[in-house]
Amino acid sequence: MVLVAACGAGGRSDDDGDGGGGTTVGVTDDSIAIGGTFPLTGVAAPGYSEIPTGAKAYFDFVNAAGGVNGRTIDFTVKDDGYDPTKTSSLTNELVLKDQVFATVGSLGTPTHSAVVDFLNDEEVPDLFVSSGSLGWGDDPESRPMTFGWQPDYEIEGKVIGQYVADNMPDAKVGLFLQDDDFGEDAEKGVRQFVDDQVVDVQRYTSGNTDVGPQIAALQAKKPDIVLAFTTPSYTALAQLTSLTLGFKPQWYVSNVGSDPALVGSLLEKFSEGAVPGDASALNGVMSSEYIPGMDAPDNPWVQLWQKVWDQNGGQGELTNYRIYGMSWAYTFVQALQAAGEDLTREGLVDALEQVGSSLEGPNLAPYRYSEDSHLGISGMELVKLQNGKGEPLTKVLTTDVGDAEIAEDDSGQADDAPPESGIPDVDPVG
Amino acid sequence: MQQFVNTVLGGLTIGMVYAAFALALVLIWRSTRIVNFAQAPMAMVTTFIALQIIEAGHSYWLAFAAALVAGLVLGAVVERVLIRPVEGKAEINAVILTLGLFIVLHALASVVFGNRYRSFPAAFGIRGLEVGDTTIALTGFDIFTILAVLAVMGLLVLLFRFTDLGLRMRAAAFNQEVARLLGVRVGRMLTLGWALASLVGSLAGLLIAGGSLVHPGYMDAVVVYGFVAAVLGGLDSPAGAVVGGLLLGLSLSLVSGYVGSQLVALAALAILMAVLLLRPQGLFSQARERRV
Repeated sequence: MVLVAACGAGGRSDDDGDGGGGTTVGVTDDSIAIGGTFPLTGVAAPGYSEIPTGAKAYFDFVNAAGGVNGRTIDFTVKDDGYDPTKTSSLTNELVLKDQVFATVGSLGTPTHSAVVDFLNDEEVPDLFVSSGSLGWGDDPESRPMTFGWQPDYEIEGKVIGQYVADNMPDAKVGLFLQDDDFGEDAEKGVRQFVDDQVVDVQRYTSGNTDVGPQIAALQAKKPDIVLAFTTPSYTALAQLTSLTLGFKPQWYVSNVGSDPALVGSLLEKFSEGAVPGDASALNGVMSSEYIPGMDAPDNPWVQLWQKVWDQNGGQGELTNYRIYGMSWAYTFVQALQAAGEDLTREGLVDALEQVGSSLEGPNLAPYRYSEDSHLGISGMELVKLQNGKGEPLTKVLTTDVGDAEIAEDDSGQADDAPPESGIPDVDPVG
Repeated sequence: MQQFVNTVLGGLTIGMVYAAFALALVLIWRSTRIVNFAQAPMAMVTTFIALQIIEAGHSYWLAFAAALVAGLVLGAVVERVLIRPVEGKAEINAVILTLGLFIVLHALASVVFGNRYRSFPAAFGIRGLEVGDTTIALTGFDIFTILAVLAVMGLLVLLFRFTDLGLRMRAAAFNQEVARLLGVRVGRMLTLGWALASLVGSLAGLLIAGGSLVHPGYMDAVVVYGFVAAVLGGLDSPAGAVVGGLLLGLSLSLVSGYVGSQLVALAALAILMAVLLLRPQGLFSQARERRV
């Protein structure tokens, strides 16, 4: 710890010498170096490894059109295999050796927890962490450089909790949670509304693929609806084990783990059609959406992503995970534009705090960025999955952490379309 | 009640897989007095071979047989090529070598087969048996698992107790020099022991993969639990390995269902420590500790 603190202090004093207006590490007249850590291999790789390929495709699309203020975006992707120790050394490399201007989109709660304080000590903008943990933005005073992007798990818990309380007031509720921040934050939100309806909580440990005992315990309490906050692999395992046990509640699966295409492909080969092998594997399951995805091919945003992927993508098809990456890449380009020509680390953070909540992008609900909160998208709509499509159960609902009320969104965010060029056009602040 | 029955049945089924894995460890222990930590990735590799065959459109049973044969060959090759050169030196050399092989096979599998979760089909239904209007967590594939492991255990007991070959294998393991003087081809016996162990390990890999998800690390926990099961049973006894596997599977399933899944690995280690403290020769070992 002492060593890390010492390094941090050293870095800062060096930076102070660079110039009066702020830090410009990683920025030249014609390029901006950024980086991020992602699981390209390992247990978390399915789906998640596609996120940086989507982001990269969008940056290439912007670069091909001349970049932002004449600077091209140079995005370095490091593979941490979802292993926090690797995240630490790779983030060190990005900051100290590759000298990136900012990290963008780095993925995972346990992984990013290992580096968030280092990035803040080094005063490196730490933008749009790919995870819904509250740690990315609920306390900007102690982590001034870190910004979340997707809706946090607590507000997802609140939204589905209120839906169950309003529409299924007599239902017995079971919770199936990943045993970390993901499950914990979500449970906090859910319990605000249905604390007295919860009959059982089961937690699984990521890495142990035998969830039989947990599902059997849930089944014993006979819940009418199970709210699952699981990653895609565990959504598949839970569905499979439930089939074995003849357990048929209504399921709600967090948007984190409910991609029908991915879960369907995991369940694909099980035993003679006992599980449908395509996106219909999750038919009837409830979930939530906060950006338009592959199930809405006519949505103008999805059409833009398709065009970007066709022009700049690598191997494979456009997927929801690639769309996710493109979506925060779009937000990053907006942030760069808002920060203006004289790009500094401080300027970028200031700009996001000032105009972040009014940025119009693919997000269905506005971002919450301000001086008091660095949390990302403020809401979502609940859907029921049918053959891979989400059929809306509610309007877009927005809220915030704590006891903030849940309200229908009136910002019109969900109805906007991207500009013709596919590249945002945000005025610089101040 | 239903929860208890299902948790117990789930524990027994997974216990059978630990038992098969423990059997593989016991086999190598009996024939060479080393613990083969590379058993897990060896079984993982053969399971992936089966998966490739299935994905190429061939039948499940062809893939099943191919994986077992691949296991047999892999075991023999590993013994001949890697273990043979360190034979006669301290046992620890060979054990460290198997740890190295563990890492190498892992890395190779990630390169060749990819690192993502993939689903592995089961030969029989994956729906539980329906009794009245409750479903019991015993699937056709679970029953197959239990029968397959029992059959393998039976065959191994027959081999070691009642055949000339088994006697020679035991002699080669027990004292190479004396066995050689008595005309036993010790080298061949060792190779055969490794091959058989690897075959049984491959079976365990196939059984735990059936109807679940596989990735290059999916057997890693099993090698730990299989080792605990083998120690529980006394490392020397095939029947002990099976009983140890069942006990361990059952305890871990109950811990997972009634206490919390985060304590499963801890419970396994607690059991291991308890056995080593209270009955270091294992529950079923006939001999007192043997100096090696």
